Amino acid sequence: MNGDLFTLLAPELIVIGGAVLALLLGLGASPGARSAPRALALLSVFAAFLVTWYYGPSPAKPLELAGMRFDSLAYYIRLIALSVGALVLLVHWHLPHPAERGDVFAMILFSLAGIMLTSLANDLVLLFLTIELVSIPTYILVSIGRSDIRAQEAGLKYFFLGTLSAALLVYGFSFLYGAAGTTNLSRMQLSPAGGFVTIGLLLAFAGVAFKIAAAPFHVYAADVYQGAAAPVTGLLGFFPKVAGFVALIKLLFLMQPSDLLTAGWNMPGAAFVFLWVVAAATMTLGNVLGLMQTNVKRMLAYSSIAHSGYMLVALLAGPVASGGPLRDGLSAMLFYIVVYGIMNLGAFAVLALIQARGRPAEELDDLAGLGRREPLAALALAICVFSLMGLPPTAGFFAKVYVFSAAISNGAAGWHGLSLIVLAVIGLINSAIAAGYYLRIVATCYLREPVAEPIAEPRTAGIRLGLLGCCIAILVIGVWPGGLLYMSRLPFYDLSAPPAVATHSNAQSPEPAETTEQVYAKEMNS
Amino acid sequence: MLTIGLTHYLILAAFMFCCGLYVMTIKRNAVGILIGVELILNAASLNLVAFSRYKTGLLDGQIVALFVIVLAAAEAAIAIAIFVNYYNNLATIDVDRGDSLNG
Repeated sequence: MNGDLFTLLAPELIVIGGAVLALLLGLGASPGARSAPRALALLSVFAAFLVTWYYGPSPAKPLELAGMRFDSLAYYIRLIALSVGALVLLVHWHLPHPAERGDVFAMILFSLAGIMLTSLANDLVLLFLTIELVSIPTYILVSIGRSDIRAQEAGLKYFFLGTLSAALLVYGFSFLYGAAGTTNLSRMQLSPAGGFVTIGLLLAFAGVAFKIAAAPFHVYAADVYQGAAAPVTGLLGFFPKVAGFVALIKLLFLMQPSDLLTAGWNMPGAAFVFLWVVAAATMTLGNVLGLMQTNVKRMLAYSSIAHSGYMLVALLAGPVASGGPLRDGLSAMLFYIVVYGIMNLGAFAVLALIQARGRPAEELDDLAGLGRREPLAALALAICVFSLMGLPPTAGFFAKVYVFSAAISNGAAGWHGLSLIVLAVIGLINSAIAAGYYLRIVATCYLREPVAEPIAEPRTAGIRLGLLGCCIAILVIGVWPGGLLYMSRLPFYDLSAPPAVATHSNAQSPEPAETTEQVYAKEMNS
Repeated sequence: MLTIGLTHYLILAAFMFCCGLYVMTIKRNAVGILIGVELILNAASLNLVAFSRYKTGLLDGQIVALFVIVLAAAEAAIAIAIFVNYYNNLATIDVDRGDSLNG
């Protein structure tokens, strides 16, 4: 892969092209045109996946071009976003009213393209815009398709908190720009001691914390998850979170020395303390509040908050030069997020599939007796919930093992390493607390007498296929984590390569941008 | 005579930021809250333009500000659509009237 921006961005262009076509076809008058968006969306995701796969991970030196950076992190995020995106499309297959299919599938594709571009962004403005490209379609998805009051209320809350987070993020970015004098992330040299840098980073972290539903910015999650339709909720647990965590990784990399692996993962005191407190509070609040819920969607919302906390633990530990995958926090986090996305989507797919009292299942009572009425759906739910809990032989087990072993074996000197161990212990205690409500879901399915006669909605092959995909993925990764682990280690191998210098590989003259900037700066100074 | 410098712009932007946050917390009308968000976004734009003028002397900050303005417009469009939907259900855009979700 070299040169031309059109070739490099082919996966994103395919997805965006598919989204625009889906939007147009959805407006068509004939029923044929109106049902086309589904197939078109799935097809464009497959095509984009194949193109990304064909390109492979970047060569030894990441390529930097037009404010973007084509590296292994981007390769990995593109692949997982597209694979989980295909499952998300399947789970949405039967949801929308035929007249809304074009809109819904186009919004999912736009959001997906946003994630892929977030992973490429190497410029503050691009990072900001791509995060918003992920978020704005999700505001629409929450409000659309359900005429009931709760969906509208959830949409309104989600919109306001989302825009507030965007505003905080860009206000923070403006300080980072002021401190560094450039918007290019790889040319940004931040001295952690600077006042502007601290303000900017804290504001940007706050903005990102909204996206990943971390405490104290988690309050919207339960309401939004409850109000939105179940398939949309499955999407909300993955899309904004991936974008948020990728942005967080990119911000943390700003503070790293160029010889990252020998010097170690560098976290200035303020950022470390802030993220430590956020991680501990997110895990604890999520799980404790989850225990008090009787609505399964709200339970899973709080579990979603708690899982963000576990991922923050891994990110705090960061990559370590030696010791293999069990000490690499970065790859543990990248492994965790895809596993979490799949198991969360699977759980919500079951809720979308099961009808009780003539509406989609939501309360714990709605699931009572599911094991007898719909054994397969109950089994799928049990697999997803056991994975969320972290039991072997599911993927969730390995995800938790990598996260906590990275924190425990980090071995940083002094209070740094010690506080990581304390954090891992808090996380393990939390995993035990979480078992309380996860087991309640499974026990309700199998042990209680039916209250509301839950039945699986007939003629829903799409959701069933998506659910089957989620369960197979969970079990396959649970038995053989090596494949995904290898992929999630790729960004780490990127780090071992010498730090990349901006290469304008397709430009005619070596550095035209620099000279123009210098000339302009002289003019401004005179 | 007082010369206006970077600090003045930053203080003004910080003031706008605080006003925006304040408006977002006290307003109960959805359009009012949206205005609060716009104030914060404009505070960021002002910061960007001021840094670009006084710190780097380049145009990049001003270009970022242009993008922020475009994004604010896009968000306003989505906001109005969501407000209309909300109004259709509740016949008001008072955010306190939506209280069916809690726990």
